[in-house]
Amino acid sequence: MKAFRFISENCDLCRKCEEACALVCGSSKKLSGTYVPHIRVMQSPEGPYVRLCKHCEDAPCVDACIGESLQRGPDGLIIQDEDRCIGCFMCNMVCPHGAIKTIMSQEKAFKCTLMCGKEETPTCVFACDRGALFFDDLRTQNNQKRRAKLRGYPKK
Amino acid sequence: MKKSKSTSINSRQHVIVGNCIAAVSAAETLRKLNPQDSIVIIGEEDVPSYSRCLITYFLGDMITRKHLLSHNTKWYDERNVDLMLSTRAEGLDVKNRQVFARQNGRKKKIPYDTLLVATGSTPIYLPSFPYDPDGIIGMRNYADSVKLKSWAKKGKKAIIIGAGFVGLKSAYGLVKQGVKVKVVELLPTVLGRMTDMEASARVRARLTRHELLDIELNNSVIATRKHGNGYMVTYQDGTEETCDFIVASVGVRACTDFLKDSGVDIDRIVMVDDRQQTSVDGIYAAGDVCRSRHIVSGEWIYNAIWPVAAAGARIAAANMSGDSLSYEGNIPMNSVDFYELWITAIGNVQEEGPDVEEITFNTPAIYQKVKLRNGVPFAFMAIGNVDGAGIIRGAIVGKTPWEEFVRRPHAKILPIVNQYITDPAATAGA
Repeated sequence: MKAFRFISENCDLCRKCEEACALVCGSSKKLSGTYVPHIRVMQSPEGPYVRLCKHCEDAPCVDACIGESLQRGPDGLIIQDEDRCIGCFMCNMVCPHGAIKTIMSQEKAFKCTLMCGKEETPTCVFACDRGALFFDDLRTQNNQKRRAKLRGYPKK
Repeated sequence: MKKSKSTSINSRQHVIVGNCIAAVSAAETLRKLNPQDSIVIIGEEDVPSYSRCLITYFLGDMITRKHLLSHNTKWYDERNVDLMLSTRAEGLDVKNRQVFARQNGRKKKIPYDTLLVATGSTPIYLPSFPYDPDGIIGMRNYADSVKLKSWAKKGKKAIIIGAGFVGLKSAYGLVKQGVKVKVVELLPTVLGRMTDMEASARVRARLTRHELLDIELNNSVIATRKHGNGYMVTYQDGTEETCDFIVASVGVRACTDFLKDSGVDIDRIVMVDDRQQTSVDGIYAAGDVCRSRHIVSGEWIYNAIWPVAAAGARIAAANMSGDSLSYEGNIPMNSVDFYELWITAIGNVQEEGPDVEEITFNTPAIYQKVKLRNGVPFAFMAIGNVDGAGIIRGAIVGKTPWEEFVRRPHAKILPIVNQYITDPAATAGA
């Protein structure tokens, strides 16, 4: 299974990933009428970090969803049926990553469902030219992490 | 029942009593782990599984019938699950491993190898407002919501006893149907122990902004009697009021009736162990019918919430298949919205004590509160802006000290943390 990987040191908060996500994925436009990205780059004293769905193996949001809107799809990703969402925000209450965006005006929760491309590179990763955001296999990810530790810096 | 006569020696029969989230969650897991076994679900209602949390939304016509009834018969067929609808479990023979049930008046015996009790809970009625199919009901299942909907078409005025989550959500739904609603609550706050005075006042103000809705706190109903086509209600201060129908939402009790005299250990709720097994071998329980652990303190509590049912049932199903997993439990929590005012509450924010501190964030639009015991957060409540509530839940469950938590980059999403970092004096105690 593939997953996102973020390298804080390489990010300079250009927000191209956010822009690309909001423009390419139509779900936010459909839900809120404005372009809201799923991925959000935040600033902190320790450097930037991203708020993005990790598609957890033991996903608490799927258990908590009273509308049965959030489900685990056949490929292991957490998918959302937006029409079934009733906006109770139980998912937001249990998500430890704060990855679920709450759209108050539409009474909907929404999150990254990788609509823009499961097999190929997701839009946000494609848009990142700083080498801060990757989408790869968990196994290679571990290798990358190890290698990055050895070399002292990560490489694409 | 055709599948039970399977000739395979290794094939077992798993019987699930109940048909809500715990049942479907368990059936899903059982099928995944045991492709050969037969699975039978005994459902009391005449419709397939649906989300009971959504019935108040259905009552208020916020969702359609099709949206509510999420699991059609195809769902059961795809997983090869025998669904017995309109079937009520009436007794249990632990020795011969069979469930006595009644389907449309006909008695049935259903043999099982493992049994999951997922019968859930039912509203409590008190002698001052006894169950009456013509005018006093609780809000618990699809039939109740259909009934209330039809009453709402005729009636002009309803009284709701209890301002908990179900009471307020029912009130919200009925108001959308154009019924004048009065909610009566014994406690000084709405939503039980999930809110403090300030939060309760905000929720109440938002709801009663609607001219059809009225909430009265610190009051209770001591008697009801028939009055014309409706009812006459007497309050504890002696005043009386008429209404067309009454909704009882003072709480729930576990549906353990069919387990009576079966040998399964019950103390109002089914006493399960960490593996979700009852005192009888091969009989498991999950959902609102049984107890679960408080994930932080480790104590046994009655935590009748959806996530506990979904996760507990999965653990039970794995153990029914021969695994040995334990369920760590959860924390009492809930999240709801009324007229675009969101409320998320985790843990008991009303708890007081010598070593309890509180941190608040109070602006006209947003109100958040964290309670700390010895510097570790144990309860959180947010109104208006609930974004990132799960991050603080992570700290509560992980017993992360507050000072350490606020330094985490993700914590800064919460306004209360942001203010605490920049101006700690402003957040100290209300």
